[in-house]
Amino acid sequence: MCCIGIVLILLLPIVSLCQKAFESPHNDLYYLWDSLLLDYSLNTLYLILIASSVSLFFGIFPAWLVSTYQFRFRNFFDLTLYLPLAIPTYIMAFTYSDLLSYTGSFQSLIRHHFPLASDIVNQDYLQIEILGCILGFALYPYVYTAARVSFGFVGASYINMSKNLGLSNNQIFYKVLLPLSRPAIFSGLFLVVMEILNEYGAVKYFGVNTFTTGIFKAWFSMGNEGTAIQLSFFLVFFVFLILFIEKQSQKSARYFYKANTNKIVLQIPSLSKQVFIYLVCVLPLILCFVIPFSHIFMNSIREFSTIDFGHLFLLCLNSVKVASFSALMIVLIALFLLFVEKISKHKISTFLNQVISLGYVIPGAVIGLGIILLFTQTPYFKSIPLVGSFFVLIYAYVFRFLAVGKSPIKSSLEKQPESFDDTAKNLGLSPLRILRKIHLPISGMALVISFIVTFIDLLKELPITLILRPFNFDTLATQTYEFAVEEMLQKSSVYSLAIIIMGSCLLILLKYITNKQINAS
Amino acid sequence: MHLKVTDLCKFYRDGDCLIDSLSFSLEKGEIASFFGESGVGKTTFLKCLSGLENIDSGSIELNDRVLNSFDTFVTPQKRNIGFVFQDCPLFPHLTLKENILFNLDINFYSKLDYMLSLTKLEALVDRYPHQLSGGEQQRTCIARALIREPDLLLLDEPFSNLDTAIKNSIRDEIYDIIKILQTTTILVTHDIHDSLNISDKILVFNSGKLQQFDSPENVYSHPKNLYCANILGGVNKCVSPLKHGYIRPENIKIVKFSSIKLIVKSCIFEGKEYKISGFSNNQSWTVYSDSSYKINDELNLQFEESDLIEFN
Repeated sequence: MCCIGIVLILLLPIVSLCQKAFESPHNDLYYLWDSLLLDYSLNTLYLILIASSVSLFFGIFPAWLVSTYQFRFRNFFDLTLYLPLAIPTYIMAFTYSDLLSYTGSFQSLIRHHFPLASDIVNQDYLQIEILGCILGFALYPYVYTAARVSFGFVGASYINMSKNLGLSNNQIFYKVLLPLSRPAIFSGLFLVVMEILNEYGAVKYFGVNTFTTGIFKAWFSMGNEGTAIQLSFFLVFFVFLILFIEKQSQKSARYFYKANTNKIVLQIPSLSKQVFIYLVCVLPLILCFVIPFSHIFMNSIREFSTIDFGHLFLLCLNSVKVASFSALMIVLIALFLLFVEKISKHKISTFLNQVISLGYVIPGAVIGLGIILLFTQTPYFKSIPLVGSFFVLIYAYVFRFLAVGKSPIKSSLEKQPESFDDTAKNLGLSPLRILRKIHLPISGMALVISFIVTFIDLLKELPITLILRPFNFDTLATQTYEFAVEEMLQKSSVYSLAIIIMGSCLLILLKYITNKQINAS
Repeated sequence: MHLKVTDLCKFYRDGDCLIDSLSFSLEKGEIASFFGESGVGKTTFLKCLSGLENIDSGSIELNDRVLNSFDTFVTPQKRNIGFVFQDCPLFPHLTLKENILFNLDINFYSKLDYMLSLTKLEALVDRYPHQLSGGEQQRTCIARALIREPDLLLLDEPFSNLDTAIKNSIRDEIYDIIKILQTTTILVTHDIHDSLNISDKILVFNSGKLQQFDSPENVYSHPKNLYCANILGGVNKCVSPLKHGYIRPENIKIVKFSSIKLIVKSCIFEGKEYKISGFSNNQSWTVYSDSSYKINDELNLQFEESDLIEFN
């Protein structure tokens, strides 16, 4: 019952949004259909297409090479190719737009050294195509991670078999590794698409009209709440359509295989292959981490004398405080829901867990809107003092990021056989003691991993924080965004740098923990 | 000689010797079992033959072609050796038919129907690996290896994942297929019954060294050492002043009068007969009998001197 209660409470914003969508006047719907919907849909699809292509290119090839070959700095690349995850998409977009602007480093360099080419490079870079590439730069680690794990899972047996059947290394890649890893790569790509749909800061800055910017525009600029609600509804429909396509594609794969425990024996590449490997691994690293990080770092040094360290410290504290408390809540709720599912073996628990995981695919702007509607207009929940409180902000975070926190705990609990629970019950342990004496000690590291991945996501979060933060409360993310939209990119750098450094340190820690777990198993 | 392995050495990464100076040869169409306990390097040996691992010294020749020696290494893609791996890795994204035809030269396509009928898989061609039973998967792997007409077929513990009930029938089917196609085969196994049932020759391997390479009959009747003797059913040590050597339990008779006595310590019914264990002349012995005996009964034993096994 408690489990059902938690899930129902978390789903309330979406229920409220759906109810309001049908109450909105019909003329809003005609206006929406006539003027905005097609434009928003096409822009969103185009952005998804470009960013997905870049993510696939930057994600799959390095993952293949790192998984297959032994080369110098392989471990270094394996670690650093994840690091762009520490750079939020909006910071990546602000940085590249600054770099590529007329006064930015790129054009200045060209004007100084190649004056004849200066007219050619003097373009308007705030285009949807450039934005698509930039989003791809920031989001490719989702594909890289999925592909890297999957290529590792395929293991030595299939590779040896393929060699024995006469396949070259390149043929093994596209005839065996890619088809076997297709579901995993699709899952990574699905996360990329969800992040693009959730994106607000970068698309707003580039002036690209997508569903998310439309919701903000209709609600805050035009004061048209009805249009915002209907746009949210369409966005949710769009998300579920993509989710359906993803599920269908997974189903159509029609096969499964056991992870192979024989490790792939890394091969020594030829000299020409080494050149190719370094090119493929260095390119995403430079474009997606080194360039944006160095630019932000240099800007921060230039701004050093004007930095208000007291304010910076306060924002860091705000970000860490709200992210760590929310992450802790998420870990505890996720553990509770998953443990109830495991111990009860009820289909309803499984169903509720699946439903609540959908929070991650619902964009932050929609969740924000749903929560405000819930606490301002829905009977029984009208409690205006709650809007703009930490409670509402954390409530929204928990709903949106519960799926992120659940994932590591779920995989850890699934690895523990049912016989553990049965033995414990047979020895007289109550469910709570089974959790405390068996699952918590075994899944301890999974809880830490769950906390870290959720914390990193929360640290970068922007749309929900912008909509629901308490009055006069800023985080590093909101401050970065506010300086950027005021065209004070240099000033925003130090806050971006703080997010990136914190995120990078946590990602390195995460990699260290997961490597240790893999080696231990 | 069809396959000739000369002084093959393979070391672990830390430098310890895994396979030490292994030499043997096989004629075309012969089936040899590479018998050894777990961890002695059986799979590594097959990987060396197939080119998935390089050897440290020695040479491998197949069909008058040097595959691996001091200055030669033919890649696994070019060796024309069929390999049926222990975990039977059929590609899960391909159907049974696609798995068999995977990367196959078009000249061999015409053999598909024959191979499917030989392996009795005609009705299953559109199934995916997870829709096949263990035996069907095993036969698919065999068909995939044999359709390419390999110069050598390597079977790495192909029956270890099968239930005992179907294991024997699958083993017999595979034996028939290999014999029909006259494919030279090396079977790696740690189950001596698999070796006896399927092999023309047995290669007994232990502690990094070849212990004996001979026909199953000779390994049974003339084992080179105690290890070889023990793997085919065990032996009793005979230390009386008159007779020295080892005797197989099945060659011992229980008689009314004899100078060789056995005090019964256990008598276990094994279906066809009773397995009786006890002590004779302070040595632990085993014999078989149609009748049951009680603990501490004294039995009189007799055997032919010609059945005694003596090692050099």
